[in-house]
Amino acid sequence: MWDTKNVLTGSADNSCRLWDCETGKQLALLHTNSAVRTCGFDFSGNIIMFSTDKQMGYQCYLNFFDLRDPQQIDDNQPYLSIPCSDYKITSAVWGPLGEFVIAGHENGEINQFSAKSGEILKKAKEHTKQINDIQTSVDLTMFISASKDNTAKLFDSTSLDHIKTFKTERPVNSAAISPIMDHVVMGGGQEAMEVTTTSTRIGKFEARFFHAAYEEEFGRVKGHFGPINCVAFHPDGKSYSSGGEDGYVRIHYFDPQYFDFELEA
Amino acid sequence: RDTYVKTFSPVSSFFPSELLDDILREKPQEADGIDSVVVVDNVPQVGPERLEKLKNVIHKIFSKFGKITTEFYPEADGMTKGYIFLEYAAPTQALEAVKNADGYKLDKQHTFRVNLFTDFDKYMNISDEWETPEKQPFKDFGNMRHWIEDSDCRDQYSVIYEAGERTAIFSNDAKEPITVEERARWTETYVRWSPKGTYLATFHQRGIALWGGEKFKQIQRFSHQGVSLIDFSPCERYVVTFSPLMDTKEDPQAIIIWDILTGQKKRGFHCESSAHWPIFKWSHDGKFFARMTQDTLSIYETPSMGLLDKKSLKISGIKDFSWSPGDNIIAFWVPEDKDIPARVTLMQMPSRQEIRVRNLFNVVDCKLHWQRNGDYLCVKVDRTPKGTQGVVTNFEIFRMREKQVPVDVVEMKESIIAFAWEPNGSKFAVLHGESPRINASFYHVKNNGKIELIKMFDKQQANSIFWSPQGQFMVLAGLRSMNGALAFVDTSDCTMMYIAEHYMASDVEWDPTGRYVVTSVSWWSHKVDNAYWLWTFQGRLLQKNNKDRFCQLLWRPRPPTLLSVDQIKMIKKDLKKYSKIFEQKDRLSQSKASKELVDKRRAMMEDYRRYRETALQIYQEQKSVRLELRGGVDTDELDSNVDDWEEETIEFFINEEIIPIGDL
Repeated sequence: MWDTKNVLTGSADNSCRLWDCETGKQLALLHTNSAVRTCGFDFSGNIIMFSTDKQMGYQCYLNFFDLRDPQQIDDNQPYLSIPCSDYKITSAVWGPLGEFVIAGHENGEINQFSAKSGEILKKAKEHTKQINDIQTSVDLTMFISASKDNTAKLFDSTSLDHIKTFKTERPVNSAAISPIMDHVVMGGGQEAMEVTTTSTRIGKFEARFFHAAYEEEFGRVKGHFGPINCVAFHPDGKSYSSGGEDGYVRIHYFDPQYFDFELEA
Repeated sequence: RDTYVKTFSPVSSFFPSELLDDILREKPQEADGIDSVVVVDNVPQVGPERLEKLKNVIHKIFSKFGKITTEFYPEADGMTKGYIFLEYAAPTQALEAVKNADGYKLDKQHTFRVNLFTDFDKYMNISDEWETPEKQPFKDFGNMRHWIEDSDCRDQYSVIYEAGERTAIFSNDAKEPITVEERARWTETYVRWSPKGTYLATFHQRGIALWGGEKFKQIQRFSHQGVSLIDFSPCERYVVTFSPLMDTKEDPQAIIIWDILTGQKKRGFHCESSAHWPIFKWSHDGKFFARMTQDTLSIYETPSMGLLDKKSLKISGIKDFSWSPGDNIIAFWVPEDKDIPARVTLMQMPSRQEIRVRNLFNVVDCKLHWQRNGDYLCVKVDRTPKGTQGVVTNFEIFRMREKQVPVDVVEMKESIIAFAWEPNGSKFAVLHGESPRINASFYHVKNNGKIELIKMFDKQQANSIFWSPQGQFMVLAGLRSMNGALAFVDTSDCTMMYIAEHYMASDVEWDPTGRYVVTSVSWWSHKVDNAYWLWTFQGRLLQKNNKDRFCQLLWRPRPPTLLSVDQIKMIKKDLKKYSKIFEQKDRLSQSKASKELVDKRRAMMEDYRRYRETALQIYQEQKSVRLELRGGVDTDELDSNVDDWEEETIEFFINEEIIPIGDL
């Protein structure tokens, strides 16, 4: 939540939980019929959403709860529950003003679901394989989608216009937009199951930095010896973190040259 | 090559009356059926016990061209006469049979002559006046050497990617590859270039196709169902195809030799196993081709496709042979036989004179390695010396250019992983030892009868040697299981110019000029990171080209130079002058590329800025909504609420340095 009072977590134990960040006390427990894949607070912090997986005969649902109405939590009754019959949601974030949720699907589709009516406001089919991660820019005006199709793409949050594409030769598991520079960072590798067939050499897996406007890669950071599953910029843009299959979280602070670096233009 | 008049063999029995008698014995067909009849001459004359077999063979060969509706084998005195009639379902099929089966060599004594029955009539009625025959339209494929005329001397290479779905031809420019041609499903398996680069061969279920010229038009097609392997003669006159499907005892079709220019099938052969392809090895000038079978060496000559001197050579126990790449000399070896030692023999062709014989003792195995010009032959001999258990290796170096071909021996203490001659020089490189202690040794075969070890590098990550086709430079590579370690070596002073790596590289290919090296990770051996990288001969990485499911890259070979030795000397003398011009050209194109890239980036940045401005404008307009959603708290900037921030100072230990005062 925006004031860091509460934390929302979703798990494959078929539940979504709300916690007090400072004390660690569980504030609410919402049971689901299948694993919770993704969750988040809207801009105001009053509405929560989470998606459940298509599992054991249950469909994928995108559920909305209004925290100002305790009845919804007590009865485990979302005010809005959107079924996704075809391709399950694999990653989702809220739009800039809490009006819609931007969801990425198993087949590479990206949809805008209205948080009020549940209808699909806009669609984008730019990726050809599963969306692994969606992260917004710090001002929420754009987001970057990381896909198994070896690319990450930059979109406008409101119009879902496709702005940029960043190409690699490996599936992209996660991508993030720098809050202060025209940079994006991407991490990836093989799916967990396939790891044994690729390199186990020390530090072979790299976080890759692309220029957001030129779509050109300008730097790589080695260190992980397994696929990178998650990347994030620090809100002040002076460092970034990556978490990998190898069980390590790495935090890197950028040296001065990073901020001065410019591609010739 | 146009044939204006078909000649038929001067068999005296071909008088019209006898012909008609034979025909009339059968029920006469409709008048237009005559156009579908062919006469096949030089058919073996057999008695009734072999007639069925003969009919099967003929049927097998001739039913390829169409449906045979009637066949007639005239007999006399219990034997077939030696000519037969076949009727097809349509005249077009009969024409196909004439076109393709005329001249077909069934065996040593029988080469079919096939004619349309109606032609006999025609030829009998040829007027005594000579009429100039009609010229066939000339199939112009354009300049078959077009790629050599590239003004920037770029070499071409073929790339198969998308797991074989796409094949492309690129022109190699140091900046980035230039696409020349790109086709989907151009080949069904892989491609091969002809030895001088004129043709690109593609594989299909029905046979192979040859493509060439500026636009890669289809030059020729060879029908060989299920073809899996091919080999070109060095002169590019012939191509040999192999298919595991086609063979029968009577009709050898497993291996077929084709004439490339005419498209004709010259001869078919049996093949027990294609394990050691090419089965037929060509002499360097294309005059002979030979193959080895049990205790036999069969040498054939072109263009007749018949056995040299009409018989094979009986060489008891022959294990392996190969042609000198520079002369018509065959080297072969036979193992020990009772009290006769193993020996290597050099035999001159076509005279069959034995130029040199070398006896070898306690031999386990031998491998023949020719230097590319035929100047030297290295025979790698694995021996078990008397009284020992282990295997040691000797290199027996035959000096082909010296009188009586002297032989020098180099003894190797360790097991050999790879051996390679410098293509046009007198050095060779050896990888020996066992992982992880692999050594690379370089030897020089000197004129004074000595073979000198120039240098040895130890602890190398290498399992393959790749010399530049121009000599002097080479790459030592650890392919596949050795993770793509690369070492670029200059053998003029045996220095390591550069050590690099292309992780999981499966192949290394030099361009024909020796300027560039390509290392690649093929999808056929590794399912990720499929790409090919371009390096200079010194080990400077120029390009990384990722290609979706990249499979294979092959450089297009160049034809031999047309320059004389003196002309080459002159050019080398004036090299400084040429270098200046080329460097200027390179600089211009570099700055042009930079300028293009810079312009492109500028345009992209402008577009991006414009988008961001619009987005930010909307963002500003929405500020009031944001404030409302967060109860009046401004969170637009990190420092929008400085009051929320707490400052804390932490000290922690970094370093300790002890300086004795006495040293100040």
